[in-house]
Amino acid sequence: MKAFAGSNFRRTKAVQGILSILPTIVILIFIRFYPIAEAIYRSFTDWNGLYRNNWIGLQNYIDIFTNSPFWTLLRNSFVLLISVPLQIFIGLIVAVLLYEEVSGWRFFRAIVYVPQIISAVIIGYLFRIAFGLDGPVNLVLRNIGLQFLAGEWLGNSATALFVLVFCLTWFSVGWQAIVILGGMAKLSPSILESASLDGADFWQKTFLVIVPMIARTIEYGAIMSIVWTFTGTFAFIYSVTYGGPGYETSTIDYMIYTKFYQASANYGFATALAVILLVIILVLTFGEMTFTNKVSEWE
Amino acid sequence: MSRINTSLTRIVIFATLLVLSVSNLYPLLFMLLNSFKSRAAYQTSPFGLPDLRQLAWGNYVTMISQFKILNLFKNTLIISVFTILFLLIFGIIASYAFAKLNFMGKDILYFLIISSMFVPVQVTIIPIYMLFSRIHLVNTYWAVILTYLGMFLSETILLMTSAFRGIPDEMIEAAELDGAGYFDTLRYVIVPMGSPAIILCLIYYFIVTWNDLFTPMILLTDMDLRTVMVALASLISRYSGDPTLQFAGLVLAAIPAILVYAIFQNYIIKGIGEGSTR
Repeated sequence: MKAFAGSNFRRTKAVQGILSILPTIVILIFIRFYPIAEAIYRSFTDWNGLYRNNWIGLQNYIDIFTNSPFWTLLRNSFVLLISVPLQIFIGLIVAVLLYEEVSGWRFFRAIVYVPQIISAVIIGYLFRIAFGLDGPVNLVLRNIGLQFLAGEWLGNSATALFVLVFCLTWFSVGWQAIVILGGMAKLSPSILESASLDGADFWQKTFLVIVPMIARTIEYGAIMSIVWTFTGTFAFIYSVTYGGPGYETSTIDYMIYTKFYQASANYGFATALAVILLVIILVLTFGEMTFTNKVSEWE
Repeated sequence: MSRINTSLTRIVIFATLLVLSVSNLYPLLFMLLNSFKSRAAYQTSPFGLPDLRQLAWGNYVTMISQFKILNLFKNTLIISVFTILFLLIFGIIASYAFAKLNFMGKDILYFLIISSMFVPVQVTIIPIYMLFSRIHLVNTYWAVILTYLGMFLSETILLMTSAFRGIPDEMIEAAELDGAGYFDTLRYVIVPMGSPAIILCLIYYFIVTWNDLFTPMILLTDMDLRTVMVALASLISRYSGDPTLQFAGLVLAAIPAILVYAIFQNYIIKGIGEGSTR
């Protein structure tokens, strides 16, 4: 009798469990898994969203690799990745400084994170204004006698990409600092104290003592930021440069957007771009996972 | 000797953090000050303080009366509130199931849900747009809300499941001995004990959905339904536009997220530090 009640009870729990995840499963099937499958399937067609839907094999991929700005987009993403080591380096220093808990550190910690709260639309516009032809940056450069540096920052790809790297770094430093500070919170304070007593200076303490102990945290911050650079920069690029001049500052996700709005919609081509983006993200994420597992085997 | 050294170190640290804070806050201050200037005053001295005797409130008046920014606020707010509401309801029950209930296929389903987290929205947006246009959901709030749920549910579940696992089983058993059913357990044990994670989700996704551009830009083209960031993005894309007016719009649009952050920043800093979200 008791056993019967027990199995009944367990069955009730199992039914509750399945019903509890049902809404999530339904939403993910319709809004995630079905669209992913459709994107992969349509990437082999010349789909225009309406009636045209012919199987054309690898033609979209061949077009992307041979006859599209794809390699420019990829180059741009790699240039934007320069921002990742910059934000980690500055974020690390900020975290180590915050860790010292000088007076007002809670206030500083709150301010450090502020850029993350501001919409990319706003940040991007402020950077575009700042680096405009008659914008504040050029104004300052002219006034301090560096007019040879003043110019049309957003008018050519090298300087426009530099402005974007600057913008992404400014936006992300606070996030890295808070993540690293979170990693440091797990360290025992005595190790850091003994490092200071042994006469290690700031840089030695930071890079020889702290960095090895929080390597996993830094790795997490790096991989999240790398993935984000491939998928999360649309609004910044839109509001700083519109991806221009031409495709000179666009990334893959930006081109998916422009293809979506083109009059002669070729959604097959756009979904093929999306599939390539997906493959890049999966390689990065799973590469990181196996790397992390390897590292923990060594340890 | 060492004492002087430490206090000197502390001053250097303080000064460095101060410089960094200024670099974070100055662009926002620049935007705020210039939103109170006329276009001419901005072009002659972008770094100056606005003339206190004749503050250009007109920029804000235009934003509210002609640009109808309050209507845009309403659109974003509806989308944010309903996204968060469903995210919390579906997230809490699913995470409770993954953390505390046993059923067949639990591990594989959890793995499937979490791994969908890495798929960027750009991959799915065109099929989603086509699906929604077939069932007449494009240009409705629901289109954006549902897409957000697809994007954020897995992350929410990851965060909440790990928080709910920390709730002792004895507490749930004790509640059940007292006759608590499924919803009582959620209400009196899971939600109160898991509240830090729940509040983090609430605040974090308010800020994310308030600031987002890509999804509403694709799914809402109707002028009356646009979110505030979509409308501002199209306003600032007119190069000839009046910068001080645009500053006023951006200031207004930044306020809600900044307010929420100012009140709840401890939850966010703690949550990010524990490695939950990006």
